[in-house]
Amino acid sequence: MRSQYIWSIVLFFPLLIVQTTIVPLIAIHGVVPDLIMVLLVYYSMSCGQIYGTVLGFIYGLLFDLITGSLLGSTMLSKTLAGFIAGYFSNENKRENYFKSYIFMLIVFLCSVVDLVVSSFFSSIDLNTSLVRLLFEQGILPGIYTAVLGIFVIMFYPKRSIS
Amino acid sequence: MFRFFSTVWENFKEYIILVILLIISLITMSLNQKPAARKVRSLAFGSFAAFTSVISDVVNIGGLKSDNASLRKLNAELMLQVNELRKYGIENAELKGLLGLKDTTNLPLIAGTVVSKSLSRSQGTYTLNIGKKNGVEPGMPVINDHGLVGIVNSTSNNFSIVRTLKNLDLKLTVQDERSRVEGIMKWNGADLVMIDIPKTYDIEPGDRIETSQLSSIVDIPIPVGSVIGLSKVETGIFNEVKINPFVDFIKTEHVFVVAIVESKIEDGEQLNFYKRKISKINK
Repeated sequence: MRSQYIWSIVLFFPLLIVQTTIVPLIAIHGVVPDLIMVLLVYYSMSCGQIYGTVLGFIYGLLFDLITGSLLGSTMLSKTLAGFIAGYFSNENKRENYFKSYIFMLIVFLCSVVDLVVSSFFSSIDLNTSLVRLLFEQGILPGIYTAVLGIFVIMFYPKRSIS
Repeated sequence: MFRFFSTVWENFKEYIILVILLIISLITMSLNQKPAARKVRSLAFGSFAAFTSVISDVVNIGGLKSDNASLRKLNAELMLQVNELRKYGIENAELKGLLGLKDTTNLPLIAGTVVSKSLSRSQGTYTLNIGKKNGVEPGMPVINDHGLVGIVNSTSNNFSIVRTLKNLDLKLTVQDERSRVEGIMKWNGADLVMIDIPKTYDIEPGDRIETSQLSSIVDIPIPVGSVIGLSKVETGIFNEVKINPFVDFIKTEHVFVVAIVESKIEDGEQLNFYKRKISKINK
């Protein structure tokens, strides 16, 4: 379990490099997936809700510092996303979640919450249609991120060593 | 009492931790403009950008071939235009000489490459591989061959962060090139818009929009985009003008920083807040 804690932090940096250099190349009409979210959901489900919440906070802090976003906005949204993902860390069902499309649904749910909260705290203009904002800034990137969650399902070991 | 707190902690520790972390996040948001936060940020993105620049170089090599082909075509087209403009240039220089005017069109440009992009819908930012050592300062406009990309927001020694036009925190005064109508342009999270334009003003789809001389941040005319339509036409006394930016923010790789931070002083007050920030740092 302790090695998982270390890996969750170590993996963040190469993934952030990929997120900021390669992921923009696969954007569809400006919609980009969030690889960090897939990692966060994976570790929140593996290590529990408290760890997921704290990990979301750390990921958000590092992301805000490194990318120049409004400091605190991603911290807040990723903390909430990690907390929600942690709800699905039930030891008995975890294996089933990781091996099925349910993992993608969890990634989608957490992504939407993350994106909507992050947009809200970045002071989105409320004159713009909220339904449109929810769709364009929450659901579309959420679907794209969830699709990338399929890699976790594909490469998750058949029998977990731990 | 201890038992009470112990029970509460045991039953609600997930929620207590969540609330504490959310409060810390909210407090952090209010510290964004503090110099200490800026220092930590420039240190963080400066060290990280060193790694991303290596990856970015490798990724960009793939696109060099197609870039070269399109640049060759552009070169040929520009050569024809230059030939035409040269004639006007000679005539212009003669006329300026007659009137005693100085040429003020030579702007200092610093070439840079985008090493990482954060393309969130509300906080679009780029990290460039040029910083303080190259003469880059917060407030300098960033352009490419299509038009305005954004404004430099913070710098470290070797890197700088640029707020693109698709960033909620960037607002600029712009004008319609044809009718000279001026307005504030901002990103509303979905579109680039000119806000509070009276319905009687002459703005039409297809008009080119450029930065205005009234702007306290960018007072040189740099193309921004073209008008694609008006919204809020049915209600109120103001229109909102939707603008399609000339720059493709996803594909942009090479940019130029215009090495000027305009000084706009009115009644002894510096209107360009980037200039105020630089003065504070120098003090």
